Amino acid sequence: MRNKDIYTLTLLIFLTIITAIISVNYNNFSFVSIIILGLSGIKFLAVSFQFMELKKANSFWKILISALLFIIIGIISILV
Amino acid sequence: MEETKTEYKNIYYPPGGILMWILITLELITFGIALIALVYQSKENPELYHESRLMLNTTFGAINTVFLLVSGFFMATTVHLFKQQKYDRSVFYLKLTMLGGFLFLGLKSIEYYEKLNMGLILDYNTFFTFYWLLTGFHVIHVLVGLVILSFFYFTLKKQKTQDNLEDIEAGAAFWHMCDLIWLLLFPVIYLIL
Repeated sequence: MRNKDIYTLTLLIFLTIITAIISVNYNNFSFVSIIILGLSGIKFLAVSFQFMELKKANSFWKILISALLFIIIGIISILV
Repeated sequence: MEETKTEYKNIYYPPGGILMWILITLELITFGIALIALVYQSKENPELYHESRLMLNTTFGAINTVFLLVSGFFMATTVHLFKQQKYDRSVFYLKLTMLGGFLFLGLKSIEYYEKLNMGLILDYNTFFTFYWLLTGFHVIHVLVGLVILSFFYFTLKKQKTQDNLEDIEAGAAFWHMCDLIWLLLFPVIYLIL
């Protein structure tokens, strides 16, 4: 097991717990949706760059996947 | 043992192969458009969508997120050990990866069973149409992923060579794609509407 993978998994589980706590306790505030989407975006990038080894890939793939994520989360954040 | 090196910096050889990354890109675009359509539709009747969303079991969704993330971690470890030619340990972690997938499907089945018992079927309202279609297609992806991983499991048990590396990486990329899709579905369907 690689240490970086273990740190990434710890971060992912920590962010999942934080997301659950925020959504249960502070769901009345409109900005909470954007925070939840932002945290999910961080988790998405952690999985793709660390577990899928996107960090080793050509910049084209890094930019493509990151841009897709920002477009999807950006549009949803505007609509929510 | 020395790790097998691959030239990932070449645009044509991302980890998992170019075809798999084209597929991942298309899948993300498809699910992304569907999620945007869901949020757009929710603006026409926010109360209906909010009340419908509250009928979902957020705890099940959060636990399933953890199942997929841990399973993804085991998948990454499987590939890493395979590259180091530690085949027996690699097979062990592959089994743990599959266990994560089965746990996800088990909990999802309980969730679906509850919804069906409550009469919250596909045409109950537009929120549940989106819910069943999006989560259903995701479940199909997890099932396909498990079939691919099962195939690798039996191949690895028989043939312990680096010849399978590209296939293993492609299968791993597909499995991680299920994580990525779920990481987009979970907050939008279960948390923010």
